[in-house]
Amino acid sequence: MADPMHQFQIHKVVDLPTVNLPGLGVVDLSITNSVVSMGMAAGLICVFFALAARQAVVPGRLQSVGEMLYSLVDDLAGSIIGHEGKVFFPFVFTLFSFILAMNFLGMFLVFTATSQLAVTVTLAMLTILTVIVVGFARNGLGFFKLFVPSGVPWFLLILMVPIEIISFLVRPVTLALRLFGNMIGGHVVLKIFAGFIISLGLLATGGGIASLGYLGSAVSLGSVVALTALEFIVAFLQAFVFAALTCVYLNDVVNLHSH
Amino acid sequence: MANETTQTHESTGADGHASGGGLPQFQFVWWPGQVVWLLLIFVVLYVLLSKLFLPRVGGTIQTRADKIAADVAQARDLKTQAEAESATALAELAKARTHAQRTASEAKAKANAEAATRQAAEEAVLAEKLAVAEDRIRVSRDAALGNVRTIASDIAAAITDKLTGVAATADEVETALTAAKA
Repeated sequence: MADPMHQFQIHKVVDLPTVNLPGLGVVDLSITNSVVSMGMAAGLICVFFALAARQAVVPGRLQSVGEMLYSLVDDLAGSIIGHEGKVFFPFVFTLFSFILAMNFLGMFLVFTATSQLAVTVTLAMLTILTVIVVGFARNGLGFFKLFVPSGVPWFLLILMVPIEIISFLVRPVTLALRLFGNMIGGHVVLKIFAGFIISLGLLATGGGIASLGYLGSAVSLGSVVALTALEFIVAFLQAFVFAALTCVYLNDVVNLHSH
Repeated sequence: MANETTQTHESTGADGHASGGGLPQFQFVWWPGQVVWLLLIFVVLYVLLSKLFLPRVGGTIQTRADKIAADVAQARDLKTQAEAESATALAELAKARTHAQRTASEAKAKANAEAATRQAAEEAVLAEKLAVAEDRIRVSRDAALGNVRTIASDIAAAITDKLTGVAATADEVETALTAAKA
């Protein structure tokens, strides 16, 4: 059977010289298949909106889809963060559309950028650093009130504050691992079942009782079709969940006074 | 050169996995490149979306909402205007109707009056003619009645003459007629 992990293997597509970035050290900026995948996702979004962002009062199909995505994230940011959601809407929308495009491209191409831990960790760190920067910019040192729930007796605070700090620190980890785990899991399962189709089919050619392999092969094929549908849902859902959690975390620091 | 390195990496990756190695995601040699490129692409995408595409989409949605609101407001205005005009039209209609009724009744009264005067005039003429006719009849009758007496006296004189052979005087006949009449 083909190695189900082979699809996650990164390899260079275009070799570029290493660059010495300040603070990061020497970085190999070669274009890998992962970078190609990210670039294609970003390009796809740009092409989509170049076509969809028409200004017709009566929208066409593509424009309707574009406006639907816009409204989806706009409502999300508005309902969670409140009227200040407008400020963070472009950031949340960029996260959402970028992850969505990478997830969907993974359904059509052999490589899924969001199944790379490096990608999800970067996105999670980007989000949480934005939250921290916004938190300090809005509240100054009042940011630390985030870890001190109001209306709690002092002896409970001894217990609560460490829990709050840990829960905050765990946020980027869960954010990164949730997306990574969903993507890698789905694609591995797809690959394994697809492998079963071939291996069981080959086994069945042996004849005799092994002919039952054809049945197993057919069941595997059905599973792959069903799982592919499921993976499309997961691809959308995970992008949405990432955007929603980003809004929730931003809301914590934007509306800290009412926390 | 590039191909060779790629091949090497792929083979080591596959080998590493076959001997129970970790996921390809944990080959940290690929991390810095991915992180830097991801941040680069993300920033470009963020700038493009926030400065170019999202304002356009949002503007279109806002324009549509404004247009719908304006159209609804305009429709409401037109409706109230139409209602006002309809009320005016109804009032004018009512006014015209009363006016028409008044004119009609006036015309009728005038016609009646004219008819009455004409009838009165006709009746006067007729009455006059009738009176003249009655006068004439009376004169004729009186004349006729006057003649009757002369005829009677003549006849009486003639009869007396025939029966007696003596001609009666006019006074005797006159006396006898007066007595007979009484």
